[in-house]
Amino acid sequence: MTNQQLVRRTIHWLLTVLVIIYLLTGFGITQYRIVEPLTFGLLTKNLAHRIHINLEIPFIVLLVLHIWLLPLLKRFKLKHLSKNN
Amino acid sequence: MKKAMTGRGILFVVLSLVLVAIIAYGVSTGCCQTEGLAPVEVREYEGVDLSSINAFRENSIKGPQEIDVESYALKITGLATNSTSYTYDEVVSRYQHYRKVVTLDCVEGWSVTILWEGVLVRDLLAEAEPLANAEVLIFHAYDGYTTSLPIDYVMDNDILMAYKMNDVILPPERGFPFQLVAESKWGYKWIKWITEIELSDDASYRGYWESRGYSNSADLEESFFGD
Repeated sequence: MTNQQLVRRTIHWLLTVLVIIYLLTGFGITQYRIVEPLTFGLLTKNLAHRIHINLEIPFIVLLVLHIWLLPLLKRFKLKHLSKNN
Repeated sequence: MKKAMTGRGILFVVLSLVLVAIIAYGVSTGCCQTEGLAPVEVREYEGVDLSSINAFRENSIKGPQEIDVESYALKITGLATNSTSYTYDEVVSRYQHYRKVVTLDCVEGWSVTILWEGVLVRDLLAEAEPLANAEVLIFHAYDGYTTSLPIDYVMDNDILMAYKMNDVILPPERGFPFQLVAESKWGYKWIKWITEIELSDDASYRGYWESRGYSNSADLEESFFGD
C-alpha cells in the first residue's frame, strides 16, 4: 500500500466514523427520550450536544480532504513530473 | 363480439363496486357530516410574520400532557404572605391580558416567532405578596419538569404566562393551560403545563435541564452550556 492510499483510506474511515457519531449525537439531541435509555444513560442530551457541536469543524475538514485530496495530489504530482522533465 | 361484451360487463361491474366502496368509505368516515372547524391562527401581526403553532418540535420530557381544566389548579407557594390557588378561569378572567410577539429560541437550533397572549406573572405574584427574602421563582409543570428564574427578571421584564398563541388557546401539546414566555432566555426556560409557582430563597436551585448541564441563567446572548 502506497502512502497516498494509506492517507486516503485513513481519511475515508475517519470520515465514516465521524458521520456515524455526528448522526448519533444529532439523534441524542432531538430524540433524547429514545437515545438515552438505549445507551444506558451514557449519551445524555447535554453530552450529545457538546460532542455534536465540537464535531462541526473536524467534519468539514475531513469532508474537504475526502473530496479534494486526490485531485490535489494528482495535480501536484503532474506539476512535479512536468518540472522534472 | 360476445367476448368483448362479457369483458365490458365485468369491467362495468368492477367499476360499480369500486364506486360503491368509495361512497361507503366516505359516508363511514363522515366526509359529509358537519364538523367544527379547527381554530384559525393569525400568521401576521402588526407587520411581523408569525410562525405556525405547529412549527414547534415536540421535545418535552414526557410527551404532551392532557390537563383537565375542571380539576386544574395553579398554586403559588413558598415565601409569600398569601399562598394561593387559582382555577384556570380565575387566572384568565381576573387579570389584565397582554399580548406580545416574542421569539422562542431552542438550544436544538430551531426558533419560532409567536404572538403570545396571557397574564403577567408579576400580577399573580402581587396578590400573593412575596416575602422580602424571596429571590427565585421555581416553576413546576404537570409532567414533573421544573425550571427557575430570578424574581427580579420576572418583575422587571413583563414576563407573561401565556394561555393563547397566535390567537388560539394553547393546544395540549403546546402547554395548555399555561406556558411561560421567558423572553431573552433559551427555550428550556419556557416551561409548559405550569401547575405551581414556588417562591424560594435558593438562588442555586437548578431545574430539570439546568441540573443536567445546561446554563442556569440561560441568557440568549450566552452559551447554553453550564455556568
